[in-house]
Amino acid sequence: MIGRAAGLTSNAGAALLGRLQHVRLPGVGTASAKDDPATAARRWRAVTVLAEPDRLADLPSPLAALGDRVETRVTPAPGDKGTELAARFRGPATDDDIGRLRQALREAKQLVEVGEVLRMDPRPHGERPDTPGGRLLDGAVAASRREGLL
Amino acid sequence: MRALTWTGVNRLSVEDVPEPQLLNDHDVILRVTRTTTCGSDLHLLSGYIPFMRAGDVIGHEFMGEVVEVGSGVRHRRVGDRVVVASFVSCGNCWYCRHELYSLCDNSNPNPGITEGLWGQSIGGCVGYSHAVGGYAGSHAEYVRVPFADVGSFVVPDGVPDDRALFASDAASTAFTGVDLGGVQPGDTVAVWGAGAVGQMVARISALVGAERVFVVDRLPERLEQARTHAGAETIDYSTTDVAAELRERTGGRGPDVCIEAVGMEAHSPGPQGVYDQVKQQLRLQTDRPTAVREAVMACRKSGSVFTLGVFAAMVDKFPLGAVMNKGLTLRGAQVHGPRYIPRLLEWMERGELVTEHLATHVMPLEDAPRGYELFKEKQDGCVRAVFVP
Repeated sequence: MIGRAAGLTSNAGAALLGRLQHVRLPGVGTASAKDDPATAARRWRAVTVLAEPDRLADLPSPLAALGDRVETRVTPAPGDKGTELAARFRGPATDDDIGRLRQALREAKQLVEVGEVLRMDPRPHGERPDTPGGRLLDGAVAASRREGLL
Repeated sequence: MRALTWTGVNRLSVEDVPEPQLLNDHDVILRVTRTTTCGSDLHLLSGYIPFMRAGDVIGHEFMGEVVEVGSGVRHRRVGDRVVVASFVSCGNCWYCRHELYSLCDNSNPNPGITEGLWGQSIGGCVGYSHAVGGYAGSHAEYVRVPFADVGSFVVPDGVPDDRALFASDAASTAFTGVDLGGVQPGDTVAVWGAGAVGQMVARISALVGAERVFVVDRLPERLEQARTHAGAETIDYSTTDVAAELRERTGGRGPDVCIEAVGMEAHSPGPQGVYDQVKQQLRLQTDRPTAVREAVMACRKSGSVFTLGVFAAMVDKFPLGAVMNKGLTLRGAQVHGPRYIPRLLEWMERGELVTEHLATHVMPLEDAPRGYELFKEKQDGCVRAVFVP
């Protein structure tokens, strides 16, 4: 029962982070604040990669792994900023789908620019007491690679 | 290994934690030889940045000896004595290539948090909460340094540890404000805050040619250091009207460049201070911008105001009308360490930039909770507590 409660709190942290991106307060969470969910899900999500477009001729593996469900667009960025890599689902997409797409785009950019995806664990830390606040933050952190305004 | 961990609001503990490991090809592992408190740590300690998890190792201003090197590291060797930039930077994204290192696109593994807060994610920072990556901090015997070729710098033999240490963050943060704030030869500069960063702003402003530098604070020992070590003129805001004093001393113009080195927990006597405290405690604003307001009002027309202290999110009663109508340039930044550390080390080697006086309390890591208490409460003349693991 306690384990289930802990899981629920952690999930709440992830959900809270997701919801914060859609809060309609001035200056807070401005992603798709005026879009209905279907329109928001259809938007192109894009990262700008500091590389020539031909470096993206073959899709980086995290994006390629999403397969035919995703369409992609590669265009030169203005000025010296590199190449815009955009992607979206061809059909309906859930919040989980879009989360995976965000993570794939970020990892694709990292792979092209620095050659590897940043790893964080294991990392040194002291005792982590099992508290509701701690579980909430753990959930938010676990979701943060898939969340955001991207 | 032993490490200082945040265990809750205003609670710290030295405990046994696992040692760091090489996780990416560009990592090194450092044996920490010096690591210091920073005013921005106090925001974590006090719970104003709510992305700390009990057990997190804190600390982001440090130096040490390389003891392990990842397979992708090209310019660092085991045994190198290095000082390390507090922000983590990949060196290859557009921001890093333009020397805007703290804005790195690839070094914050938790972008979802700060994108929601600020519209974009900034780079990661060692030991400074999960909002900027959740990296384990430097108040420990060992620390992992990602992208070590970009963020670590070999210290010249002639530069002692207690000098080189402050190139890591305090002096490089100061240089960021002086450079991007646009200090020019002949300028008059005013600095709010006489902590380590404020003092470094004063000294570096003089080094790049500022003709007069004023430092504003209320702590006599810090103002004395600013006079002695940075050659600054000082203003005690607890005994005088800062803006009036600056007008009087600058021919009625006001300073050309105003640099705020205080941050979100600014102290202020009088009604304005009470107002900001109450609003912050009620969570109606996240930050107390007292010093920034004063800087905006004091700055000369068409001058430059730079926010160098750490702010989290929202402030209230901000004099935007003065910014617009006086034609001010308002700018801020976290520290772009690798842009400035090489030049700082050159100045340090030539004796033009000394920092040893900032290390007022040098102590073993085991005493770190006491060091933070001295630092937070500004007891015993503490400017910086430095830990030797």
